[in-house]
Amino acid sequence: MNTTLTHDHAAEARERLVHRARREGLATVGYGVLDSPVGPLWVAVGPRGVAAVTFDREPNERDLRRIVAAYGPGVVPDPRRIGPVARELERYFSGRLRAFETPVDLSGITAFQRRVLTALAKIRYGELTTYLALARRAGNEKASRAVGGAVGSNPIPIVLPCHRVIATDGTLGGYGGGLDAKRRLLTLERGETPAGGWSSRSGDTHSPPRSSA
Amino acid sequence: MERVRSGARTFGELLERHEREIFAYALRLTGRREDADDLYQETFLAAFRAWPPPRRDHERAWLYKIATNKAIDRERRRRPTVSVEDLRLAAPDRDGVTLIDLASAIRTLPPGQRAAFVLRTVEGRPYREVALALECSEEAARTRVSEATKKVRASLR
Repeated sequence: MNTTLTHDHAAEARERLVHRARREGLATVGYGVLDSPVGPLWVAVGPRGVAAVTFDREPNERDLRRIVAAYGPGVVPDPRRIGPVARELERYFSGRLRAFETPVDLSGITAFQRRVLTALAKIRYGELTTYLALARRAGNEKASRAVGGAVGSNPIPIVLPCHRVIATDGTLGGYGGGLDAKRRLLTLERGETPAGGWSSRSGDTHSPPRSSA
Repeated sequence: MERVRSGARTFGELLERHEREIFAYALRLTGRREDADDLYQETFLAAFRAWPPPRRDHERAWLYKIATNKAIDRERRRRPTVSVEDLRLAAPDRDGVTLIDLASAIRTLPPGQRAAFVLRTVEGRPYREVALALECSEEAARTRVSEATKKVRASLR
């Protein structure tokens, strides 16, 4: 048995299977894994747009549960479907894209999270903000800790730029993809380190928890 | 651990766990790449339509059962033709017997016996799984494999 041929042929067969499953309405969400300068990214695209980006080769439990609750089990490997956002990510990482145009799908998140992530999406390329300022933008200055939580559970990092949110004292805060990834993204966008330095945060009691995105 | 034991939650999980094995099984059952491709697709589409799958330790047998039934249905609909190139892919190596001889012998078996023979002798599955895939008792599975083996031996003499 020629296993290499079987593997290649199985990959082609899978592509045809996914196509048929989509045509029959069985497949609702397509996913794939992209290699990036900040490590592998698991990316899922649903009927309304990008539904998840995870810093891993596999989805995280929270995002997968949310996607399945919104769209059922029809989550299939589908490189073609993630093609548009994959191309945008590639251009972003090579410094040729400053604003993502691909739509995002925030199905299954709370109204508060949606408000925070909508405010987050308005932070421009290379701009930095704090959890406190973002709380103001989201209409509730007193909610900076809750805003930190909502940013921390951002299901579509990079596309929704939670890396542009830093602690009030100017230190990095946290990041779901790890602080090295956050440094790398900010350096890509700004070409420099922010005034507060790149260290993780010190003891600012007004800042959100470290686990934030 | 719960995730390890639970059945697949998405079509993608099911595919990634089992698709290569099911494709190889389809190739051995049908003997032709084009037919294996169709059988693989029909198997997984049927699994998607019949969602949810059973719990994880029954998942594989569930897919084998679907694939086997689909193969038998296909067999009843038509007698496939044999391409020498594809037989090479379908047949395992056996001393003293050419791949073509063995694959041809397998093809002469009735569908139920062919599936039993491929599952047990080619795929090396335990009788418990063969029985699950063929929806029969283990004893019946043993009988089918035994009868199939006799026929294959006879045709290879």
